[in-house]
Amino acid sequence: MAKGLRQIAIYGKGGIGKSTTTQNLTAGLAEAGKKVMIVGCDPKADSTRLLLGGLAQKTVLDTLRTEGEDISLDQILKEGFHGIECVESGGPEPGVGCAGRGIITSIGLLESLGAYTEDLDYVFYDVLGDVVCGGFAMPIREGKAREIYIVASGEMMALYAANNIAKGIQRYAKQGEVRLGGIICNSRNVDREIELLKAFAKELGTQLIHFVPRNNIVQRAEIRRKTVIEYKSDADQADEYRNLARKIEENKLFVIPKPMTQERLEEILLEYGLMDLAGDYEI
Amino acid sequence: MARKKINLNLASVDNREMRLGSIISWDGSASELVEASKYEIRGQKKTEGGGCAGGRSTGCKLCELNMPFNQQTMCSHSIVGCQVGNIPDCILIEHSPIGCSAIHPRFNLGFRIGLMRRGKEAENIQIFSTNLLERDMVFGASDKLRQTIRDAWERFHPKAIFISMSCSTAIIGEDIESIAAEIEEEIGVTVIPLFCEGFRSKHWSTGFDISQHGVVRQIVNKNPKKQEDLINIVALWGTDYFTEMLKPLGLRVNYLIDMASYDELAQASEAAATATFCHTLGSYMATALEDEYGVPQVDAPQPYGFSGTDEWLRAIAKIMGKEDIVEDYIAREHTRVLPKVEELREKLKGIKGFVATGSSYAHGMISVIRELGIEVDGSIVFHHDPVYDSGTTNQNTLKHLVENYGEIDHFTVSKTQQFQFYGLLKRVNPDFIIIRHNGLAPLAAKIGIPAFAMGDEHFPVGYDGIVRVGEALIEILARKKFNQVLQRHVKLPYTDWWLSQKDPFILAKQPEILDDPVDMGEDKAAI
Repeated sequence: MAKGLRQIAIYGKGGIGKSTTTQNLTAGLAEAGKKVMIVGCDPKADSTRLLLGGLAQKTVLDTLRTEGEDISLDQILKEGFHGIECVESGGPEPGVGCAGRGIITSIGLLESLGAYTEDLDYVFYDVLGDVVCGGFAMPIREGKAREIYIVASGEMMALYAANNIAKGIQRYAKQGEVRLGGIICNSRNVDREIELLKAFAKELGTQLIHFVPRNNIVQRAEIRRKTVIEYKSDADQADEYRNLARKIEENKLFVIPKPMTQERLEEILLEYGLMDLAGDYEI
Repeated sequence: MARKKINLNLASVDNREMRLGSIISWDGSASELVEASKYEIRGQKKTEGGGCAGGRSTGCKLCELNMPFNQQTMCSHSIVGCQVGNIPDCILIEHSPIGCSAIHPRFNLGFRIGLMRRGKEAENIQIFSTNLLERDMVFGASDKLRQTIRDAWERFHPKAIFISMSCSTAIIGEDIESIAAEIEEEIGVTVIPLFCEGFRSKHWSTGFDISQHGVVRQIVNKNPKKQEDLINIVALWGTDYFTEMLKPLGLRVNYLIDMASYDELAQASEAAATATFCHTLGSYMATALEDEYGVPQVDAPQPYGFSGTDEWLRAIAKIMGKEDIVEDYIAREHTRVLPKVEELREKLKGIKGFVATGSSYAHGMISVIRELGIEVDGSIVFHHDPVYDSGTTNQNTLKHLVENYGEIDHFTVSKTQQFQFYGLLKRVNPDFIIIRHNGLAPLAAKIGIPAFAMGDEHFPVGYDGIVRVGEALIEILARKKFNQVLQRHVKLPYTDWWLSQKDPFILAKQPEILDDPVDMGEDKAAI
């Protein structure tokens, strides 16, 4: 494996904006001259759409299923925006087999095909929703991803999921080198959201590495199958993602998280008034 | 009595801990276990609402010592392999990675010997594996299963095909029931899904129930024509001693499931009664046949020792209308066998034995050696069913043992744990042990105790069984010297701390011991 390669997994509640955040922030890293690979670890295979300008990608597992094991890297790895290498793990057909194990298979295959080249600075794993079973924790096991960032917002379920993910990280951190690098807030414009996220991060023993404000330009870029950085390079939101990229580049705070009890989590939510506002915030 | 615990509408079977409240770890006297089991109450409460037999009520749950680990065990999947895998004209497909089939060479040996014991032509066992690999786990393996069924059908034209679920296929949710129905229609032969993944039950005996469930549900003749002289014997692979026992009463024996052909299994519903050499094994099938087809099961303990065999024969005679001849038969048999038994009692005076076998079979086995005047103050059963599926009082085999042959001070429930076996043997220091499962004889041998490895489980059955066992034990005891020599030259792989432990269940009572640093000693022995 390349020296100095940073392997990062992005986790978070389903629909929180992991894929959007990952693609925008890697666009920022690539723009700054970093060599990045993204491995989408979601059976929906939509982790690289904004970088590739569409879902043209054939997934590793689809290729494996139709072509067998004798496949070459260029069948599954496509270059996107600023030379970012894009791979989608994919999954079995819904209702059969084991998608979690599929991620293990995919990463194993990528390694044996030589996808992890010397020139890479970053590999990002964009992982499905919560840690639903052992297979989805694969990127943080066996020495794959060593840094984790959790995407969250000020909504209760997002923080609940983030806390659960922290439990998974804590488990694997005891056996290996995986550490939590921080919480990324993908804002939902909840009142006092930044304070809440800071308090939540502090309780976990980590940091709120960046607060990405809500901006509809993200949706406008998405509908055009682009990251904000590509769609409107001079937009404020593009700078937000560049800032996030820079903070991750410069990050030195890697911790074993201290997940909290459900009771403590609810206390924090109450303290920041979220419970009273449920349903009262706009999206 | 409103008991309908066996539901043949479903392909899956509730495990034993749910149905019967079975346990795998316990230590005390036999009479304490009889008391704690509350057989009668459990038997009566076997209603749909649950209750004592493992339902919602926790009022009479049989307490269990929870050991923090298992050293070795079988599983339901494996048991299904040596049950329906032993039907000569049927085929079993194990839907699993190949490791789940690792025991096939051993099963093949058992199958060939079993066929010969029953006077059938020896042949190799026919079990297929879908041999699942990583990709099958990721994408699902249903097509591979379909293909395997078709291949098995084309090559062997079996009368029925069984599919067994493994842990791996259960986790990924392979729908073997739908596939079985689909392919059954396609090839026109019975295809039977068996949900026997290893983690389904904490004890392998659930695998017997699952095998029997599949046979009763899909093979047994649904429109039976009664055969008044036919008696089912739910058995394993033992010698056909039952024919010589039951022929004098004018009965024909129909063995289930091992070594039976498809047609022999199908006629199970036509029999006039069902009996077994072991209620742990046979109770599910006997009850299912009784509930579904009105084939009465023999309401008696098991045919071991004089008392057990007497009661068993009388119960059969009652069902079959042979009460007029049974008493004469029993008296004749006593007269014939008793002199030999007395001769053996003389020879075996002062000897102490130890039994380590399956649950209710051990109850019978101990009766036989007590009948021979042998002392038994310790024994192991691999699990304990506080009640059997029938729920009938007369089948309470442990109670029968204690009432007719007396107390056993150290009666242990434990799954073939060798590390624990040492302490259990040392506690009572027997002159020999009787075993039927792998891995136990070597440990006894290393501490100077000869083992009777009883492969043929029918060996102790009936009046002649008492004589057979007595004669065999005299030969086994002659090996004592050899075992004592072996003991002097062999060291067990355990620490002195463990070997000096008085309580073989210390780890269940104080599991925190496992967290203590272990003094590995000079020879780096573990535990």
